[in-house]
Amino acid sequence: MSGADTDPRTRADVFAVDGEIGPDLARVDWSAHPLGPPDTWPQSLRTSVRILLSSRFPMWMAWGPQLTFFCNAAYRRDTLGRKYPWALGRPANEVWTEIWDDIGPRVDTVLRTGEATWDEGLLLFLERAGYREETYHTFSYSPLRDDDGSLVGMLCVVSEDTERVIGERRMATLRDLGSDPSVIRTEQETLTFVSRQLARNPQDLPFTLTYLYDRDGDARLAEATGLPAGHPAAPATLSLTDPAAPWPAGALTEGDPVRVTLDGPAFADLPAGVWPAPPAEALLVPLRQQGGAPYGFLVAGLNRYRALDDGYRGFVELTAGHLATGIASARSYQAQQRRAEELAELDRAKTAFFSNISHEFRTPLTLIMGPVDELRGRLHDADERVRTELDVIRRNGLRLGKLVNSLLDFSRIEAGRMQARYEPVDLAAVTADLASVFRSAIERAGLSFEVDCAPLPEPVHVDRGMWEKVVLNLLSNALKFTFDGTVRVRMDAEHGMAVLRISDTGIGVPAEEMPRLFERFHRIENARSRSGEGSGIGLALVKELVSLHGGDIDADSAVGRGTTFTVRLPFGTAHLPADALTPAGAGRAPGSAEPFVQEALRWLPADPGAVVGEDGPAATDGPVHPLPGGAPARVLVADDNADMREYLTRLLRSAGHEVHTVADGRAALDAARAQTPDLVVSDVMMPRLDGLQLVAALRADPRTAGTPVLLLSARAGQEASIEGLEAGADDYLVKPFPAAERLARVRANVELARLRNHHARWRTALVDSLQEAFFVCDENGAVVEINAAFTDVLGYGTEGLPYPPVQPWWPDQEAEPDAHRQVAAAFSRLVGQSRGTYTVPVTHRDGHRIWISAAFNQVDDPDSGRRMIVGTFRDVTAEHYAVQRETALAGLGMRLSRADDLADALHGVLDELRKLWRAAGVLTAVFGDLPTPDVTGTDPAARWATLPAKRRQALLALRDTPLLTPVATRRHGAGIAVEHPHGTMALWIDLGEKRPFTEQDQTLLALLAGHIGQGLHRVHQIDQQRETALALQRAILGPAQLPAGFAVRYAPAAVPLKVGGDWYDTVELPDGRIGIVVGDCVGHGLRAATVMGQLRSACRALLLQDPSPARTLAALDRFAALLPGASCATVFCGVLDPVTGLMRYSSAGHPPAIVVGADGTPQLLQHGRSRPLAVRAGEERPEAEATVPPRATLMLYTDGLVERRRQPITVGIARATDAIQQGHHAPVEVLATEIMDRLTPDGGYHDDVALLLYRHPGPLELEFPAESTRLAEVRTALRGWLDRCGLAPAHAYNILVAAGEACANAIEHGHRDNPGGRIRLRAAATANNLRLSVTDSGHWREREQPPDPHRGRGLVLMRALMDSISVTPGATGTTVDMQARITA
Amino acid sequence: MSASLTLTTSDRPDGVRVLTAVGEIDMSNASSFADALAEGVRPEGEPLVVDLTKVEYLDSAGLAALFPHADRIALVAGPLLEPLLTISGLADLTTVRRA
Repeated sequence: MSGADTDPRTRADVFAVDGEIGPDLARVDWSAHPLGPPDTWPQSLRTSVRILLSSRFPMWMAWGPQLTFFCNAAYRRDTLGRKYPWALGRPANEVWTEIWDDIGPRVDTVLRTGEATWDEGLLLFLERAGYREETYHTFSYSPLRDDDGSLVGMLCVVSEDTERVIGERRMATLRDLGSDPSVIRTEQETLTFVSRQLARNPQDLPFTLTYLYDRDGDARLAEATGLPAGHPAAPATLSLTDPAAPWPAGALTEGDPVRVTLDGPAFADLPAGVWPAPPAEALLVPLRQQGGAPYGFLVAGLNRYRALDDGYRGFVELTAGHLATGIASARSYQAQQRRAEELAELDRAKTAFFSNISHEFRTPLTLIMGPVDELRGRLHDADERVRTELDVIRRNGLRLGKLVNSLLDFSRIEAGRMQARYEPVDLAAVTADLASVFRSAIERAGLSFEVDCAPLPEPVHVDRGMWEKVVLNLLSNALKFTFDGTVRVRMDAEHGMAVLRISDTGIGVPAEEMPRLFERFHRIENARSRSGEGSGIGLALVKELVSLHGGDIDADSAVGRGTTFTVRLPFGTAHLPADALTPAGAGRAPGSAEPFVQEALRWLPADPGAVVGEDGPAATDGPVHPLPGGAPARVLVADDNADMREYLTRLLRSAGHEVHTVADGRAALDAARAQTPDLVVSDVMMPRLDGLQLVAALRADPRTAGTPVLLLSARAGQEASIEGLEAGADDYLVKPFPAAERLARVRANVELARLRNHHARWRTALVDSLQEAFFVCDENGAVVEINAAFTDVLGYGTEGLPYPPVQPWWPDQEAEPDAHRQVAAAFSRLVGQSRGTYTVPVTHRDGHRIWISAAFNQVDDPDSGRRMIVGTFRDVTAEHYAVQRETALAGLGMRLSRADDLADALHGVLDELRKLWRAAGVLTAVFGDLPTPDVTGTDPAARWATLPAKRRQALLALRDTPLLTPVATRRHGAGIAVEHPHGTMALWIDLGEKRPFTEQDQTLLALLAGHIGQGLHRVHQIDQQRETALALQRAILGPAQLPAGFAVRYAPAAVPLKVGGDWYDTVELPDGRIGIVVGDCVGHGLRAATVMGQLRSACRALLLQDPSPARTLAALDRFAALLPGASCATVFCGVLDPVTGLMRYSSAGHPPAIVVGADGTPQLLQHGRSRPLAVRAGEERPEAEATVPPRATLMLYTDGLVERRRQPITVGIARATDAIQQGHHAPVEVLATEIMDRLTPDGGYHDDVALLLYRHPGPLELEFPAESTRLAEVRTALRGWLDRCGLAPAHAYNILVAAGEACANAIEHGHRDNPGGRIRLRAAATANNLRLSVTDSGHWREREQPPDPHRGRGLVLMRALMDSISVTPGATGTTVDMQARITA
Repeated sequence: MSASLTLTTSDRPDGVRVLTAVGEIDMSNASSFADALAEGVRPEGEPLVVDLTKVEYLDSAGLAALFPHADRIALVAGPLLEPLLTISGLADLTTVRRA
């Protein structure tokens, strides 16, 4: 084994280095070749071929005058394809004839100048797989020199980039398709946008057509790229059934892609686009719709230079998926938008309608009812016809009033402001009394009327006014729909309830109408009835009123036989709010039944005229009392309504007053100044000068300062009326008002005015007549006076006066500290400042939250001289929630846009919803493909299995409701079904307290749910894109196979999750050394990853060419200077001798590598340091040398591992050093995991991290035949390795013997019956431990019989020489595992 | 290929016979070592001196060759082999001299 002749490195058999290509090269007939037989080749050629063959990096070379072609196995696999082995030994221009035009000039340049070339991602059309294929290669051509130094050939180091270039191109298209997904587009905008993106990738998509199915069953061309308009391959419409159509539109409705060969006449002149020839095939992919037929399909012309493999097909399908998602999103957004707008519009219209009703109805009502009452009084003796007509007018007025009142009742109930006063009554008697009012009308209709109201065992608590409405509405209903037979009223006590049944034998209600019977404004069409009139509000109101009493109502009906309404009210008071109870007789006086009866009578055929209701004002309007002082009073009337002026004039003249009228405030002021009247009666709302300004002007003028003013209004702004009254108005009347009262007020005012004693009067008038809430506080803030509107808004009445602070409407300090603080702050302003305004949340007496906006002034009480506070407020709950809605939308948008992933987004959303509604909890269940619904809640412990059965049922029911349609229960909460990317999501908001979920809340929920559904889909899309990017990064990163002794890690930044430009690499160099690289490109995302991939490839190639770290980095400088985005990347590059541990290294601005010795001594490799890449490219770089001692650990890393905010990097480096010291007894793979875990900051890495570890020496791994003759060479290898581990000779010898015994055992036992097997030996060291294992592939005998004495001795030796030993028999062999401690 | 081992038997002027082993002894060549021992050992007179000073490796195969002749041989060994001879118990049966 010695002597130059037998050294394999000098032997002629140059091809033996590689078992794959070598034999084929040997088969080339070299004797006939210009290069001659290999044993005559110059040393330089042999060396080059040997390097070529032994490299695992793809390479080819050309040598000699013919540029004879050689390549290695990697090149054969990646590039040469079918040309192997034909190409070996042939002239290179023959081998690469199809691309010689591209590469020939480069080869010439190299051979002429001796300078290497570098090409990055060059497009080459190769024919290696049976077709002309689009490929990309990054390669460098380096010169090869003969033994005498002359240029004779070139070496090409190639890496094929085809996958990367095409992958990036497709990624870019997919990324652009998904870019800016927050912009919601219309369908057309979406299509145009997608089209624009597709047109930017003409390589993969030479042409595309988007067809959408229309309602006529045709497919309509929506967008096209790469084809001119009107091209025969892109008809504007496609019939689904026409077999002659260029595309099989019908087949695609099935939902599967179709591959089409483009050979028909329509495809005769397809444009070639960016390629030499047009596409030969197209892939048609349906645009799938979740749970429906496809929207249409995408036609993608295919690049004929790429095979339609899984990647290409996947890309086209993903593109179509994007398009389909975009269409779905646009369509659903449109639908949701429309729905939300409709709901909001409906809500607004209704609110406006109710709030305007009083204003719109009361003025004309005043003008109808006043004159009618007057006329009826005056025309008492007029002829029959006049009287009848007057009665018609009066009845209609009453009816209108009744309707207005019902509507107002409704709006009060809706707003939770209905004030009930429950008093104990003998319900049977009261009901019988009410029924009797209808007796004459019912009997006149020819029906029999049976009233059976036996006394009940105990009184029932009812609000008499409401009960009256219940009974009268039901009776009126019975009469209206019954044409013969009987109407029955029956009262019983059943099961602790008072039960009222009102039955008729009328037309009955069809079964299909029953569910909607109590719905508001619902009327049964075409039902035969006594009158076509009706608002459809009566039964709905009845139901609401009954439920306010804690009772219920249902109906039982059969068509043609009649209907029975059954009302049940509980006895006792437990079901009623305690604060609304009053003693018997103290409740609200029953209103008049007259409107009901009057209306009913008019339905009857022969109405002889009203006989009831003789209590009108006209009847009681007595003679005009003479005014004190005798003289008639001069009254100035100011009103812009001529009817009102005439009516007032008639009214006042009839009372003996002298009336002068004007049409506005300015004229009134002029008239009053010209001749001071005894009284001014003025409307509030007037042109030029309104009533309040008029009062102020009159009071400011000494001549008119004492003139009393009576203000009239249909609806006055309350601040204005306060100002007006402060300015000196004497009385205030709200329309409508009865003529008699009106006259009385005028009279009183005149009298008071004349007596100069109007003070108390105007106050009372003011407080009584204000329509909005009014209050007076003393200087301590105790509320001492309020009006009816105050009670309407807050629920607290005059019976509780005074209300000292803290008032009961303040929010609870415990439960709602924030709201309580707001009110407390407002209160301190109220008592501390002279005037001001504030908006605060307060609690209605029934517990629900309302928002009020208040204004207050300090005034001095003229009587007492005390300082008082006068304030007014209005209910701004609706406005408040509108603002809240906008805020909620903004909040949701924020949460959705910041979410890292789908789960995070959903958690954020639930949290927002919980805050918005102050809910006890919010819960969602997604019904996807999994067997168990996926539950997410504000309670993190919520799981489907642990939910109460009732809740599970409710969620299941919710899932099946129409999407985006809120479902609310009266008291507990609300739910809605939303589309989630994984399936339908049922969302439930648990209010957890007695609080109504109003219609406004429902509108808001529907609106938000729409946004949530869209937002979740967007997040889902972004999630998927991110995962794709990460997969790409991992694919580009690092070698698949690491040299022994190395461990690597890469982690993307966690918050927010993003890939970056960090990398690690190891390069096995031809001389047995190992290149080690860790680098960090500037920036994040796909772009940085791309730059990283190129730097990494370049660095590899450069190290292979010249294994000097400094020169490699210097060359990389020049490369980086030309690569956008590569500048300022940092790189640590080292070349390690795995035998000696000697490492030469150079650092381009990178943090220092760390070496931790076996004894824990750290060492920073901080020499050889210089600027980052491409900064002052062209200057030389320093290089340093260090030794990795035996059993020491070397660590290279990027700054993400050690950099922390607000800490110097040295702290991080010290922490990393400590982590190595802690783990240096562990195998290097385990240590890598420990370091990544130990250094993870709270919440994950902020930057991406690349980590590379090496423990010297790397593990020894040997495999050899089970023959005793091999033992000597095994020992030689092991001896060398133990030496590298730094073991003392005696210790090393012990281990050598133990290993030898184990190997001998394996040969003797494992392979005695199984000759020819193999043995594996593995040895690995940590800082303080050495581990050795020997594995054979045979079976040990169960037990040696008799025990072989000297094998037994071998085991004794192994046990004595090592610290622990274990023998593990296995199915495929036996492993002996031994460990020895090493003391430094 | 077996481990390299050179065995030389010589008679010193004082009549003592010496077997000098140079190289490595393992299961591949233990039999030639055993043969040389069998040839060199004499039933009486001075024991055969077995000089292992130049033996770089010796394992249980070599020990197995030595044991049968334990009472007729005297060993000369370097410090490297010493622990092995002690652990195996051979040092108790025969004389071992430090080289």
